[in-house]
Amino acid sequence: MNTIAFAERTRGSRPFLDARLAGNLRGSLWLVLIAAAIGLFVMAFGSPFIIRLTATAFINLIAVVGLQIFMGNSNVVNIGHAGFMALGAYFTAIFATPVMIKASMIPNAPFGLAGVEVGALYAFLISVALTSLIGLLTGLVLVRLAGIAATILTISILVIVQGVLVTWTDLFRGAQAFFGIPKVVGLGLIIVATAAVLVVARMFKGSRLGVQLRASATDPLAAEAMGVDVKRLRLIAWVLGSAVVGCAGALYALYAGTINARAFYFHTAFLTLAMAIVGGMRSVTGAMVGVALLTVLLELIRILEGGITVLGIAFPEMLGLSGLMLGVIIVAVMCFRSDGFMGGHEIEEVFAMLRRRLVAGKREG
Amino acid sequence: MDYLIEQALNGFSIGAQYSLLALGLAIVFSVMGLVNFAHGEFIGVAGYAMFAMAAMGMTDPWLLVVFAMATVTLVALVLERVAFRPVRNAPPTTGLLTAFGVGIILQNLFLLMVSPRPKAVPELSALNQTVEVAGHNFTILQFLEVGVTSVAIAGLVWFLKGTRIGLAMRAAALDFTTVRLMGMRANRVIATAFAISGLLASIAAIFFIARRGAIDPFMGLLPVLKAFVACVLGGFGSLPGAVVGGLLLGLVEVLLIVLLPDKLAGLRDASVFLIVGVILVFRPQGILGRRVELGDKTA
Repeated sequence: MNTIAFAERTRGSRPFLDARLAGNLRGSLWLVLIAAAIGLFVMAFGSPFIIRLTATAFINLIAVVGLQIFMGNSNVVNIGHAGFMALGAYFTAIFATPVMIKASMIPNAPFGLAGVEVGALYAFLISVALTSLIGLLTGLVLVRLAGIAATILTISILVIVQGVLVTWTDLFRGAQAFFGIPKVVGLGLIIVATAAVLVVARMFKGSRLGVQLRASATDPLAAEAMGVDVKRLRLIAWVLGSAVVGCAGALYALYAGTINARAFYFHTAFLTLAMAIVGGMRSVTGAMVGVALLTVLLELIRILEGGITVLGIAFPEMLGLSGLMLGVIIVAVMCFRSDGFMGGHEIEEVFAMLRRRLVAGKREG
Repeated sequence: MDYLIEQALNGFSIGAQYSLLALGLAIVFSVMGLVNFAHGEFIGVAGYAMFAMAAMGMTDPWLLVVFAMATVTLVALVLERVAFRPVRNAPPTTGLLTAFGVGIILQNLFLLMVSPRPKAVPELSALNQTVEVAGHNFTILQFLEVGVTSVAIAGLVWFLKGTRIGLAMRAAALDFTTVRLMGMRANRVIATAFAISGLLASIAAIFFIARRGAIDPFMGLLPVLKAFVACVLGGFGSLPGAVVGGLLLGLVEVLLIVLLPDKLAGLRDASVFLIVGVILVFRPQGILGRRVELGDKTA
């Protein structure tokens, strides 16, 4: 703790809740309120298609927030998160799927896993724990590297996870779909999980650890000189991020009931990465904005892609249009606003800015 | 023994392709600090340029090759002007993500304008003919790969050491500001770096396409990842490092193809990346990279 903070604390206007903690809590509350409002609105009025779309968007949001925890705070580009999503989904599938179904699907599973069946909640918890463990093991290696080498290592993780999933047919069914997972999660539970994850990410960002990690991303030398243990902080963020991303995968498995290894490869990695970038990866609000913007936009483009008729003119099928637009958006955002839509600000900061502008405007007028 | 010699040449020829790609990445990185994730799409550009010309009735392989190389070089220059100039002075992460967006755009352009399915480009298949040299079976392509790559590297060395703009590029890797103070145009230096990187990539692309005989929109992804790995292995930004890294990667890959049983074939790429990860843990700066401590002057 530096002297100024110490002096502030001893002066202590609020003895039990320091200003930073209060600010973080307020920020988290805003995020949760907005996410919950959108989610509940859709639950109440949405058609089944919209509900499905929203559920997928919220699961993506959890993954993007997990990505933000590591990438946004440490400024190391991470492409391996889709691998952790896959792990979360597959571990859940292996533990939650009824023994009856597993007997026909993966009868030769090692460690006697074909005969194991636990409740969905326990499967979820086991899966997140195992994913975090793998996060810890990979993280110990990852923090030794910096910059582009670290990014390459995250890609390696993705390729290795995919290779193992596709090759180890006895346990993961290889390239075939893994089905029969109990569909116990609906939009309601996904909203609850999203809210929890938003709070975790926002609190981490504003916590002492988060502040130190962000400082080290801006200037590693200055941060180390101040006694910040950059490696340890990166490790913590990496493990926390992989747990959250694993959580997204686990929820997806319990929501969709069927998973396929190919669904957790570069496509997912790039899509969620794009969401993080567009919203602005340095803030949790940015993750939310990015997911919302890209989900709506890509869904609109998908209508075009299938070929529609506008004012009597029939547009042909245009496969690849959504991907093309995704790329154009990324390049445009990078060229004109490289900090993303939110520019690294959180929602309460934007409110505060607006309020200040409003007050200033009144004074002048 | 026969087998060993044949596989060794195979490793070198695959490694040569990776070296060419890795060199292009390293040149652009050393000059302007950009990690060009879209580099692999140059392979796609070459492939689809050849496909388009062949569809229009031009089947002479030599003309196709020249056309593909010219197109890729041109595309590299256009990309530099349109996409990478606005982010030139931005932090490396911004450049990396821009390049990654450019890659997605190119892939989907191929998908949108041609087809999501693979297309055959059989014009270069003649290069896969087997020839017998001293009792061993090789393909013409393998000799071409090793030979052309050596010539290209020699040409690059001459260019960097023997010309004024080459000198400027080497200097730019150390201190771009001083290069500009000496009266070299920044735009010209960077455009040259891109043109060279495109040219080298197009040579690699022609070999890739000749080997596969087919193109698809996402064919550039895995090669560019491997080229990255080669760069990181050799030490990012180091040109000799890129060549060494590429050759090493090719040899490792062929070794894995030989050693891994068919049942574990899906783990080939995974194993390559695993080995690379292990090497990086013990030499984070790469094989030929200089160890940089925080706060060291990089120049």
